[in-house]
Amino acid sequence: MASGKAGWAPLFIRNALLWLLPVALLWAIATPFYNRFLLGSAATLVHLTESPDVTDLPRKDDHFAYVSRRDFPPSRSLVHSFRVTDVHFHLVMLAALFLAVPRVSWRRRLENLGWALLVTVFFDILLIFFYVKFAYATQLGAWSMAHYGAFARNFWGLGKHLLDLPFKFSLPFVLWAGFYLGDFMEEVRPARG
Amino acid sequence: MAGKKDKKDSKDKKDKRDVPRRTPAPAPETASFWRRNRRELTFLILFIVLLGAGFTLISVNWVNDHAVEPFTAGVARASGAVLRLLGQDVTMQGTVIRTPRFAVNIRNGCNGVEAMLIFLAAVLAFPASWRSRLAGLALGIIAIQIINVVRVAALFLTGVYFPKIFDASHTVIWQTIVILFGVLLWVFWANRFAAPPAPAEPAT
Repeated sequence: MASGKAGWAPLFIRNALLWLLPVALLWAIATPFYNRFLLGSAATLVHLTESPDVTDLPRKDDHFAYVSRRDFPPSRSLVHSFRVTDVHFHLVMLAALFLAVPRVSWRRRLENLGWALLVTVFFDILLIFFYVKFAYATQLGAWSMAHYGAFARNFWGLGKHLLDLPFKFSLPFVLWAGFYLGDFMEEVRPARG
Repeated sequence: MAGKKDKKDSKDKKDKRDVPRRTPAPAPETASFWRRNRRELTFLILFIVLLGAGFTLISVNWVNDHAVEPFTAGVARASGAVLRLLGQDVTMQGTVIRTPRFAVNIRNGCNGVEAMLIFLAAVLAFPASWRSRLAGLALGIIAIQIINVVRVAALFLTGVYFPKIFDASHTVIWQTIVILFGVLLWVFWANRFAAPPAPAEPAT
């Protein structure tokens, strides 16, 4: 039993590395479909916050999309572009971490992964929403200055920065900790220092 | 005053008798949830607060110009040195590494600071002695930077020899590897140096 407990972390690390490749392959296959879903959902969310509805998020290819405004002249309607695939590559790490937990039944593992994926989907939609608002508030020069005040520009700028870097990168770990930190703490060794 | 209080107490007692028994209020449930998950919730709240504070700090222009940019230039110099060892004829200018065939500019997101801050927040939020935390931070940050220099050098070589996969390699592959490395390093550290779990509290 003691040796089994001591092996939890090495087992987890080994499993995470082993799961990385199959999960990445699955993610690569699903990416074009997931990108379409995200763009559609994010466009709906943007429409809820604007009147009249003028924003479209058309796809450029399987990985890139535009932010387009119908109230701008056609030659200038594509106001911003971004790589949608960059929004959700944290799914690879999320799935690898959740599938790697040792000594947990498959049922519980998949159930927890399902909840974590659901939270992550909502996070990804919110992140694209912030991409759009960030572009409007800070990337359109005089138009941005005329339509967004100093507070709004800072809010959307900092919000996009925080969501796009720290929270996107750490979300898989935060969700993993939310579900499994208790199990992990029961397994760790007593402090030495 | 006392008389009024007595009268009020008597009225309260009467009210309590008249009121039919209700289902328990939700407050004890919340308290019980907090007690049961105190360690996990404390860790998560501390982690998120430390992470948000760290990233807000490095987004301040002054901090970026006086700390992050010089640090990034140091990462560029280290990566350039590794590339020279690998036979690449590189020149460095600030955060730019260049050869006649290819050039990269190391920006925020590529300097390993994100992984370092995630690791730092996780180590500080986890219950352990300060000695263990400081040792973990020192060794962890060095390890993350070693991986990051490997990433920059590998990305540069990818750009030179396999430019078609540079974008995917830059954002998806290496970001995932570096962040996952930080998380697994934290698991290793916590497993070796963490405090023992608190004794379970009696059920209420």
